[in-house]
Amino acid sequence: MIRYFLITCTAVWLVAVLAFTCRPSEPPADLRYVNPSGIHTLDPARMSWTQDFRVALNIWEGLTTWDPNTLAPLPAASDQPPQVSADGSIYSFALRRNGRWSNGDPVTAVDFARGWRRAIEPGTAADYAFLITDHIRGAAEYVARRHQAVTALTALKRLADGWDLTPQRACDLTTSSLLLLLQTMGVHCPAANGDDEGSCRSVQECLTAAEVDWRALHERALRDHAASLDSMFAGVGIEVRGDWELVIHLTQPCPYLPDLLALPVFLPLHESIERLRVREGDVPLSPEGLVIYDPQWTKPDYHRADYPGLTTNGPYRLDSWVFKQRARMVVNAYHRGAGEISCRAVDMLVMENVSAALMAYEAGDVDFLPAMDVPYDHEIARLAQSGRRLDFHLCQVSATYFLNFNCVSDTVRGRINPFRDARVRKAFARSIDKRAIVEQVLRRGDRVAESFVPADVMPGYDPPNGLSSDAAEARRLLADAGYSDGSVTPTVDFLYLPADERVAQALARRWRETLGVRVELRSMESKTFAEDIADHRFMIARGNWYADYNDPTTYLNCLTTGNGNNDSGYANPEFDRLLMEANAAANPSTRMALLAKAERMIVQDDVPIWPLLHYALPVAIKPHVQGLHPNARLWFPFRHVTVRR
Amino acid sequence: MIRWLIRRLWLGLVTVFCVYTLTFLMVIAVPGNPFQQGQHRVAAETEMALRARYHMDDNWLYYWEFLRGAARLDFGPTFMYADWTCNQIIGSALPVSVLIGILAMLTAVMIGVPLGVWAAQHKNTWIDISCLALVLVGISLPTFVTGTSLIVLFCVSWKLLPIGGWGGVSHLVLPVITLALPFTAYIARLTRSGMFDVLSQDFVRTAFAKGLAPRRVVWHHALKPALLPVVGYLGPATAQALTGSFVVEKVFGVPGIGQHFVNAALNRDAGLMLGAVLVFSTLLVLFNMLADAAYTLIDPRIRQAL
Repeated sequence: MIRYFLITCTAVWLVAVLAFTCRPSEPPADLRYVNPSGIHTLDPARMSWTQDFRVALNIWEGLTTWDPNTLAPLPAASDQPPQVSADGSIYSFALRRNGRWSNGDPVTAVDFARGWRRAIEPGTAADYAFLITDHIRGAAEYVARRHQAVTALTALKRLADGWDLTPQRACDLTTSSLLLLLQTMGVHCPAANGDDEGSCRSVQECLTAAEVDWRALHERALRDHAASLDSMFAGVGIEVRGDWELVIHLTQPCPYLPDLLALPVFLPLHESIERLRVREGDVPLSPEGLVIYDPQWTKPDYHRADYPGLTTNGPYRLDSWVFKQRARMVVNAYHRGAGEISCRAVDMLVMENVSAALMAYEAGDVDFLPAMDVPYDHEIARLAQSGRRLDFHLCQVSATYFLNFNCVSDTVRGRINPFRDARVRKAFARSIDKRAIVEQVLRRGDRVAESFVPADVMPGYDPPNGLSSDAAEARRLLADAGYSDGSVTPTVDFLYLPADERVAQALARRWRETLGVRVELRSMESKTFAEDIADHRFMIARGNWYADYNDPTTYLNCLTTGNGNNDSGYANPEFDRLLMEANAAANPSTRMALLAKAERMIVQDDVPIWPLLHYALPVAIKPHVQGLHPNARLWFPFRHVTVRR
Repeated sequence: MIRWLIRRLWLGLVTVFCVYTLTFLMVIAVPGNPFQQGQHRVAAETEMALRARYHMDDNWLYYWEFLRGAARLDFGPTFMYADWTCNQIIGSALPVSVLIGILAMLTAVMIGVPLGVWAAQHKNTWIDISCLALVLVGISLPTFVTGTSLIVLFCVSWKLLPIGGWGGVSHLVLPVITLALPFTAYIARLTRSGMFDVLSQDFVRTAFAKGLAPRRVVWHHALKPALLPVVGYLGPATAQALTGSFVVEKVFGVPGIGQHFVNAALNRDAGLMLGAVLVFSTLLVLFNMLADAAYTLIDPRIRQAL
């Protein structure tokens, strides 16, 4: 009995190993690199991670691209610089006639309009949709109208489904657009008055009592809305002139537009994607009015509804993608430069453990590590800086690590928030020794941040230096604010992520020693952290910002009143006015001067945030790989790479 | 036997249901927004519509809709990895974990049982003591230590095996050894103590008195009853091995299902979390049942009691 059991065990063991071994394996690619966390999404409209950008921008091609050395914008899908109107608000791009999709179809202006339109549609729009809605004329209005329709349709869908209405739900559903729609049916319901229980109850009663065939109403409203979509979109400043010309009408002059257009959110999409659009009957919308696609469309081997698989227009195409294991890119044979590309296949390998990835690199299994986020990063930095490892490079990234001071809340977790007072913010800021944090605590080769916008990165912009570090002055400022006596000094709450532990400890010690304040350290996992930040449940919080494009506004816009990324809650009409004025300025040097003036308000006067450092991120490139240039955007196009093993 | 099976199946179903309900309660209680995956914020209107689309604005509805989907083996969309469905993620990760888990468990049984028997046969000799020491090391060393040490030895120093990745048989060796080590140790210990008890019993003495060869007594007569505690342990242990180990996956870059448990929770990815928990609890219940069924095969007393 036992003998049979052991024999069976051995047999199963052997069969499993044999079956696994006999699977067909691919020949190794020319270049192998590690992406520790894998691809989050390959949908250009939805991606927001640098590592996803890297894959997308190698397999797609926007109107422009960045020079891997200088990061200056270069023509890509358009073969010449754009024609710009005199007031700088209309850009006209001529597309290359020889642009080809990976199935041989020509790349036309309609493909770009399709991609951009999809990128702002509710249901698909994500992190970077704001680049389109903020810059292109009529886009924000289009999205606002779509949002109205979506809320009304969602409510109708809920009512049609016979949702069990509570007063709270009735209030949530009842938006002005729904009420308007109901009025056309002769139903007059009162508008909900905030979250007031009584008014919600009357809305609920009105909706329950209304003799409306919700299902028919929903169907009709959805159909009407879908029919009006194209005419609504005609108001957006994305104008397709024939197959080869794309004209962009901007809300205001945008000198950095060519730089923006290289980002994934501005990539074109092949027409085949429309076959995977989610439809309600013959209406190309979800029942809620959202524009949603079968999320599988980014797979090269997905063929539902005659879908040909992911079709892209870049120098590479996606050959295979195995979830959390690997993705392979091979040269797109239809690309105009396909013949000159020496690196024919690139493997992206997923290794969650970066130390293991580093060991694989050392063992020669991997050629390139674009991220080396390890606990011993200071050692890597030391090896790179001392010249002992010529294959380790530090990329001075355009990104700032800073502190957010809560400028809005009166109380935080039951305590009075002293940071509403600018003097307290300045006191905490000026008592920090940034150099000590960079050189003694982190030792990663980061640069001390004197300003929010990194210096020497944005052409033509000279950022103002922030207040200097001065402990005596800091104590005076705190006393001025009424916290002279140690006993009155409040306990300060500091919110951060586990990775910030060393910095948090150092800052807390520094504040205790120079200002005599007690700091309560709160380390939180990222999702809970994000909730606390959104609800302003912090006094001081860590923050960081990576530049989306090469213009100071990518940083400064985060601090405008009501901006979704304005975590400090800073609101100063003067600052907002300066930014608006700068954006309307036709003269580039006036524009930059106005932006510098605005930044001076941040780092010298109001101090809603306090920049600490600009990141230096290490990358490792094997000596036999040529053509990868460490740069501020971690942008690595593989088409220029030569591998000589 | 049939009645027993039906009763166990029914109880198993209830257990899985309870686990699902508890997990669900925790999923809705924990703060964090699954629709907020990037740095910027999702528009409130879109979020409301998305919540409605996925029934996430109504916990009760979501509870039943998810269960209804799960009954058809459809766990719905995930939010963190929007290009994939929960089914694809679980479907690609589970076979990896199952392969490594099966190999590790088989290895553990094939090494652990003979080791335990050998140690029991040589009670209180240097063989027994060194086996015990080995077992102690296997149980007390955490897998991230053994895993990393194995990488340093086999991949970096001796360059015998590749580091990380997935595809060839060489990628299997170290994860299987690392995962098998603690199981081997437990099995060896259980076999050894079970064997001790059995060897001192009357029927063994009788067997020896009859003049049977020691090998035959040990392997033919004593091993069966001695293995009962091992069999009981094998049920939950196999389920645990099959559903992946986060640490082993992390250390070796194995694309198994263990990581999705952790990542789904961190990302508040309700669908993936619930799907993974359902798969895990079903496997656990199933293997416990198999272990109990194996009892009846080994021990006629239990068979008769049913």
